[in-house]
Amino acid sequence: GDLGPFNPGLPVEVPLWLAINLKQRQKCRLIPPEWMDVEKLEEIRDRERKEDTFTPMPSPYYMELTKLLLNYASDNIPKADEIRTLVKDTWDTRIAKLRLSADSFVRQQEAHAKLDNLTLMEINTTGTFLTQALDHMYKLRTNLQPGESAHSQDF
Amino acid sequence: GDSDGGSEDLVLTPAQLIRSLEQAWLNEKFAPELLESKPEIIECVVEQLDHMEANLKRSKKGDLKVSIHHMEIERIRYVLSSYLRCRLVKIEKFLPHVLEKEKSRAEGEPSILSPEEFAFAKEYMANTETYLKNVALKHMPPNLQKVSLLKSVPKPNLDCFVFLRVLERQENILVEPEMDEEREYTIDLEEGSQHLIRYKTIAPLVASGAVQLI
Repeated sequence: GDLGPFNPGLPVEVPLWLAINLKQRQKCRLIPPEWMDVEKLEEIRDRERKEDTFTPMPSPYYMELTKLLLNYASDNIPKADEIRTLVKDTWDTRIAKLRLSADSFVRQQEAHAKLDNLTLMEINTTGTFLTQALDHMYKLRTNLQPGESAHSQDF
Repeated sequence: GDSDGGSEDLVLTPAQLIRSLEQAWLNEKFAPELLESKPEIIECVVEQLDHMEANLKRSKKGDLKVSIHHMEIERIRYVLSSYLRCRLVKIEKFLPHVLEKEKSRAEGEPSILSPEEFAFAKEYMANTETYLKNVALKHMPPNLQKVSLLKSVPKPNLDCFVFLRVLERQENILVEPEMDEEREYTIDLEEGSQHLIRYKTIAPLVASGAVQLI
């Protein structure tokens, strides 16, 4: 893609991977995103705890950004420790909700779910387990019904 | 646009090209079956990488730009390799079914194997059959000396669940609950929404690019 222009002293937007790399080489300072602020994150965490459903997150990559920025650029982020705790709390609440939904999805043999406010990180953290569990359940159930075309091998 | 079956002239910006590669990669990763091969994307990406490498060779060494472009090249190359490797794993896993599907393909239907992949699959199949014969089959009693790989190798499970994001709005997608007592219902897929659903129902939408597996 296109980048720059890079002028000393002036902030410029770059892809995350480049930002982390340049920071590691001590060539720059990173500016945290607007939402990475204690008050905003407290609001977000409280809202998530209050609602039963998933609330929209300030960034579809909030977890990845928090982890990477706090790991590599915590010196550029005010109140880094508080931020880390707040984001973790929000994440924990959301994952707990996800586990409940996944459990009821499997039990009630749902065929479809809409997951608009989930971020990719959350989906992929529990996703593989969920889809494999659903797969196993499906195989077990279809084998209970004789005469159905189950995926058995005929020799 | 019209496809002449030969080479399609895709006019994409480099950013769009890489985006297409990423989409193809993710779809291939999460789909249970081997998807259509995308020779145009692969060709263009390889060309793009060659172009970038040539530029790098010409640049001043030690320039910050050089290391940045080098990183970008490596990142793109990783996605491309991962995509191709994912396909090879599926080809090896579902070998007889992949070959059968390709052989029984209708004239205008797109290919699921690139010419190179097709050659690889045929050779792999022949080697597997020879191996099975030499190691075990020829030592079996005469009436058990044949094995049908097509019947014994499991097919991809198209009933598995996948996560997807909607790129183009779709209406009236059928959802079939497993139990017969529950009636089937339809849903609309709004652009930008995310869903968990069985692969079989939405397989054509993946092929057409209307949804993206995630």
